[in-house]
Amino acid sequence: MIPYLGCNNLSVRFYDAPSFTLQHLSLSIQRGEKVLLLGPSGCGKSTLLSVLSGIIPAAIEAEVKGEVTRPESVGIMFQDPDAQFCMLTVGDEIAFSLENRRIPRDEMNGRIEKAMAQAGLSVPKDTPIETLSGGMKQRLALACLLALEADVLFFDEPTAQLDPQGRQDVFTLLKSVSDTGMTMVFIEHVLDGLIDWMDRVILFDAQGRIIGEGAPKDVLTRYEKEMEAAGIWRPRLFPHTLEEACAPSHPLQIGWREKLKQSETRARSKGAVEPDIYTIRDLTIGYGKTNILEHVSFSLRQGEWTAIIGENGAGKSTLLKALAGLEKGKHGEVYFQERPIRKWPAKKLYEQVGFVFQNPELQFVTDRVYDEVAFGGRVRQWDEHVLTDKTNRLLQEFTLNAHRDHHPFMLSQGQKRRLSVATMLLFDQKVLLLDEPTFGQDAATAAQLLARLEERKKQGTAIVMVTHDMDLVDRYADRVIWIADGTIQFNGAPYDLFSSGASLPGLMRPLHYEWERRMRHDACQPLPFGSR
Amino acid sequence: MMHANRSRLARVNPAVKLTAHLAVMLFLMMIADPITSALLWLLSIIVGVMFGGWTMRYIRKRIVPYLGFFLLVFWMLAAFGKGEHVLGQFAWFRITEEGIYHGLTIAFRMLGFVTYGLLFTSTTDTTQLVMSLIHQYRLSPKWGYGLLAGLRFVPLFQSELAQMKAAHKIRGFHAQGKLKSFARYTLPLFTQGIRKAERVAIAMEARGFDGSRNRTYYHTPVTSKSDYVYAGTLFLAVAVITAVSAFSGWLHWAWNE
Repeated sequence: MIPYLGCNNLSVRFYDAPSFTLQHLSLSIQRGEKVLLLGPSGCGKSTLLSVLSGIIPAAIEAEVKGEVTRPESVGIMFQDPDAQFCMLTVGDEIAFSLENRRIPRDEMNGRIEKAMAQAGLSVPKDTPIETLSGGMKQRLALACLLALEADVLFFDEPTAQLDPQGRQDVFTLLKSVSDTGMTMVFIEHVLDGLIDWMDRVILFDAQGRIIGEGAPKDVLTRYEKEMEAAGIWRPRLFPHTLEEACAPSHPLQIGWREKLKQSETRARSKGAVEPDIYTIRDLTIGYGKTNILEHVSFSLRQGEWTAIIGENGAGKSTLLKALAGLEKGKHGEVYFQERPIRKWPAKKLYEQVGFVFQNPELQFVTDRVYDEVAFGGRVRQWDEHVLTDKTNRLLQEFTLNAHRDHHPFMLSQGQKRRLSVATMLLFDQKVLLLDEPTFGQDAATAAQLLARLEERKKQGTAIVMVTHDMDLVDRYADRVIWIADGTIQFNGAPYDLFSSGASLPGLMRPLHYEWERRMRHDACQPLPFGSR
Repeated sequence: MMHANRSRLARVNPAVKLTAHLAVMLFLMMIADPITSALLWLLSIIVGVMFGGWTMRYIRKRIVPYLGFFLLVFWMLAAFGKGEHVLGQFAWFRITEEGIYHGLTIAFRMLGFVTYGLLFTSTTDTTQLVMSLIHQYRLSPKWGYGLLAGLRFVPLFQSELAQMKAAHKIRGFHAQGKLKSFARYTLPLFTQGIRKAERVAIAMEARGFDGSRNRTYYHTPVTSKSDYVYAGTLFLAVAVITAVSAFSGWLHWAWNE
């Protein structure tokens, strides 16, 4: 039987690669099926998606063996919201899909409006695309696909660059589209809100072989070990539901109680009070008439782990840059070690403060991993013995020794990130500022990096990071600063923020707090909180 | 990125407007006397105010800054120009009649280029221009849509460059010499740019774009009588100015020097 969509004995090799990315792969997908491809990074699932959708070999050259079957018309949504548009306004962009299909001009306006309505995009047609948020851009991308009236839609990590709220919006939207009986194939890192409405999950190992497939629930339970070993993020809750987990003595509750208890203990423990390293007084930052941050004041202690959270565009990165002296305030002052940061000479300041950018590639200055770490010492004409010793230790610490002679650009994403952190620790900087350090990484690489940071914190380094990952905040941070509407909404222990009864607009609490909240309210049968 | 204002000139077909303005600019290059050049420059300002929706504020913000440049060009040519008729001499400056004559010509020519250019960019929308080039000048859609996609990268480049400069500042990186720092900044920007461009190209192909003319268009700019009336009137005005100039004995062609 010829499948609706699929491949038979498929092998793919890129021309510059010594070995096949995919080998003898067979797969068939039924009409109307929703399928999720799951596997560790670099396992070839993206390649498979490209072959199934026809991008390979139409747009990307590769050696393809075997048969591929696909319906006539397909559409693909990519992860980078900025790299899938070619026009300047919303209406023109959707029209581009229609133009390619040779739809007559007088039908276009009607079809554009229909696609926009389906994708929940309620903006004027002449809105410039650059003014849309990431989530809105992905809505536009979907509208463009819907205008193609494709038989199959492919999604290559459509929410990888969105904040949690934007991600949930997009998933909800996609689910509503899925009800129309569309065939959909997904690759996605974050599974909450998506995996529960998939018909089938196909699990790959690192070599690109299918190791299991079936209903989401079965795959998640049967291949738990394999998934953990491969560093695949698991859904926070699925296959359970929050309602189910509220039932007396549900197994999940044990772990949750434990986590809550740990967070509470950390929030209540009074360790040795370290002196302040940063004091921010009445800081206002803005361009022209619009202020990004207004009258912000707080202080940070030595050796403290601080998380800065808030929605995209709230001003988190701006605040982080201000801490590094990269943003000048209109009013107010940032004091680093009791001295205004603008009075610090750059050379002295950056021996104490490290900054890790979201895109590590932009901060590499040499052609070799070893030189990259040693760079600061060379500039300061350190003794070669001391420098070699120190550099080697850092390379060891961040498991980069095997790559010491490689070009920084040749490293994997996780390694690049580790390298960019390592370069900022040559002087044993007192503060490390990080902009979304775990962004776009799989579970294993993220955990590796966090372990390193935890280690540094124990040695007295203050860590300040911008992040969207609330579980990470709860587990690691001593202090959380929540920014919304240009001001600090909360400054204190993560436990106190997440366990407060107030609603937290734009934030998604970690699951265990969500559960506790439900327990406290009447949503579930209240239970004695014995151990807590 | 260009955005059209709401003037009458904004309704003129972009391809016709572009051709007309380029023709006038070319003509300006053939003129080698300051008075004709100045009159042709004034014409562009008049057109801008009457049909291009230019306000005093726009002129002050966009054109007045070029006056400084105008003075500089004039001074350079006037003070260091060659010539027989010396008007004055002090220190190493030697002001000659010929120098002033040349200086004014070049300076007005430069101003004219700027204002005819602005007259076009302030009244034309980028998308409309590209579509007009596709329809009126048979530009291949492959190039036209590619150009539009590429334009979206410009602001992105700017923000990445700013970020890289900040990152290098933190690292304490000072490139030796202009060339080296140029290479240091361009290489990563270039690799990122190529990667992005590749992704956009793939996304465009995935949506059925094949670069051929076998497609329909959402924007279909056409030329109408009023477009040619604009071009014709502009040319007529230029001709009248040149004729007046010739009768008054001001006119000098570039090839008659």
